[in-house]
Amino acid sequence: MQVGLLLIAIVLSVFAGRLIQLQGIDPSSYAEMAAAEGSEIVVLPATRGEILDRNGEALAETVDGRMIIADPAVTSKVAPELAGILSQRLGVDYIDTLERLRTEGSRFQYVARQVPASKAEKVVADVAEKFKDKDGRPFAGLMTERDPLRIYPNDDTAANLIGFLGTPKDDGSAQALAGLEDSFNTYLSGKDGEARYEVGAGNQIPLGDNTVTPAVDGRVLRTTIDRDLQFYTQRVLQQTVQRAGGKSGIAVIMDSRTGQLLALADYPTYDVSTPYEFSDELYKSSALTDVYEPGSVEKVLTVSSLVDAGLAFKEQKFRVPGQLNRQDRPIGDYWDHGMLRLTLAGVLAKSSNVGTVLAADQFKRGQLRKYLTAFGLGQRTDIGLGGETKGLLPQGAAWTSQVGDRIAFGQSLSVNAIQMVSAVNTIANGGVRIDPTLIQGSATTDEGKAIGSEVATSRRVISADAARETMLMMERVIDPEAGVAPGAAVPGYRVAGKTGTAQRVGEDGGYDGSTTVSFAGFAPADDPRFTIYVLVHSPRAGAGGGSVGGPAFSRLMSFTLRRYGVPPTGAKPNQTPVEW
Amino acid sequence: MSSTAPQVRRLPAIAPRLAQAALERARFTVVPRTRRSRAPRVPFVTFVSIILLAGVVGLLLFNTSMQQASFRATALEQQATDLGAQQEALEMDIQALREPERVARAAQELRMVIPANPAGVLHLGSGKISGRPTPASASDSIPLHLPGPQKPAVLQRPTVKVKVGAGTDGAPASNR
Repeated sequence: MQVGLLLIAIVLSVFAGRLIQLQGIDPSSYAEMAAAEGSEIVVLPATRGEILDRNGEALAETVDGRMIIADPAVTSKVAPELAGILSQRLGVDYIDTLERLRTEGSRFQYVARQVPASKAEKVVADVAEKFKDKDGRPFAGLMTERDPLRIYPNDDTAANLIGFLGTPKDDGSAQALAGLEDSFNTYLSGKDGEARYEVGAGNQIPLGDNTVTPAVDGRVLRTTIDRDLQFYTQRVLQQTVQRAGGKSGIAVIMDSRTGQLLALADYPTYDVSTPYEFSDELYKSSALTDVYEPGSVEKVLTVSSLVDAGLAFKEQKFRVPGQLNRQDRPIGDYWDHGMLRLTLAGVLAKSSNVGTVLAADQFKRGQLRKYLTAFGLGQRTDIGLGGETKGLLPQGAAWTSQVGDRIAFGQSLSVNAIQMVSAVNTIANGGVRIDPTLIQGSATTDEGKAIGSEVATSRRVISADAARETMLMMERVIDPEAGVAPGAAVPGYRVAGKTGTAQRVGEDGGYDGSTTVSFAGFAPADDPRFTIYVLVHSPRAGAGGGSVGGPAFSRLMSFTLRRYGVPPTGAKPNQTPVEW
Repeated sequence: MSSTAPQVRRLPAIAPRLAQAALERARFTVVPRTRRSRAPRVPFVTFVSIILLAGVVGLLLFNTSMQQASFRATALEQQATDLGAQQEALEMDIQALREPERVARAAQELRMVIPANPAGVLHLGSGKISGRPTPASASDSIPLHLPGPQKPAVLQRPTVKVKVGAGTDGAPASNR
């Protein structure tokens, strides 16, 4: 009897000891072990947000994709035939695939990544059927794993803006390499969720434990770009640069009233569906990253500032000599002439440097710089793409009187194309500068900055009267007799614009003899709807803003006015005399 | 259970006569023993057994049907995934067909070009046309392809110049 009790006591002690070990010492790890047994954790991947154009057309979207994995232990026997099928069906390299399928001592080799799900599953199913063994069991050498696929349906259209995703990182997260994909990576990514449930033989056990943390999908990024207009702009720009023998070019179309960018083309550019075939120097928007001297297009800013300050008016008379001797070197015009008697409108229409400098002499010190800063020069536009430059607007001691003279006609300062188009658009918009925008609504960049049309601000730079008077002078630029850019005319519409031909700064920091030619303008001049800026770097010698940029401007403006159904205003163009 | 033995409690003599009488009335008496009920047990046991059995069988069936539903759910989920992938593939096809470059190429093959001038505007009220519509010409066509990527000089295919020997009358060259 006592022996029996003792035995029971010993057994109970052992039980108690085990209980303490399980519950007291490390209960959570045992609980996890128990949960892991027969339970399955599935990552619920967040879908990356789409990038859309202004009409909802997809510029970038994510579809369900698969990676195809081979088990060389199984595939090596049928490697040549299998590699043949895979290279034919999936477009992978035959030799490379053959090597992978034969890799010794490995049981995991990637065959293809980011293949659309339906295609991948079909190929694997067909292969499993084709190479089944004698007993009819399917071939088990190929497997699939989830591998979301980002597709860019429009190839090179807006490639400079969208950017692209590289091969996903090891943890499966997206690796954004350029453009909006990069600067809005967090906004687009969302957050992965997780489902944990008990399984038996591949099926969920009913009434078993299961917890689901839903995935938070990435948000949609809607841009202000009009896909079809962007395509046309890119191709017209390509044609313009090629015909002018230029090195590169930029074309921007802006909605004058809202500051929204409808098209922003860079040339050369790349195909976003095959980015690695192109130089990585093209993975950017040079309209933001590259600076240049704007040349005579800047004269409209000088002239409008003069008018706003009450220092000039369009019929004001100037005696313009062929050369103006200033402190360090003479200032001349692009054409040889004797003493000309030009009005201010004539100075702008003929694009006279000498006349502009004479007019700008009336500015007090610092006055022009204040206006140019208000026009947005020397500050980032922050439209949402990384790598933007501020440009260079000299200040303080650097603004000597010679520099001031040259800035008045657009040299000795540097800008990016978006700064310049917004500055010219200020005149189109009645003197109110609107922040340029590329994003509709509002979105937060990875740097934590909210940008977009909802948060864009506007400010008055010059009076509505000064803007109107400048517009009337800019109309004379297009005039076949009075102006220098008749090629920019849009038949039936009033157009205001300005040409620019500026010397280019080479890599050594000095002018290298090449030029940047450009044309900026808006239409209809008396009720502006669109502002367009076209520029070509390093065209062949003799090409000017009027002959290269003008016709491209005309084609783009015609297309845009037609596309958005803007009727002519019917008013007669301004006829302010250019000479006296 | 109350005791069957009658207990006579006597009130003290000082209690009033009325209370004494009430006490006499309230006194307990023995309840006569009733006959034990002889309800049949078999139906009850059968009934309970049937309920138990039905419960167990029902639970089993319920569980089985849940399992069946689970199999079915898995299969349907798989089907939904497949159909979703198929839909995505079809949508990709549509997008490829709607791509501006493809549409432009198809249009130019049909000799259509995008005009370089704005269209005229027909005012429905007055029937007048404003603007200066002009017909498009072949010079308005746009380039259809992006120039290919710039390859390094090493990868450029060299131009091979072959000098054709004169007067050999098709005879093979001596130094081949």
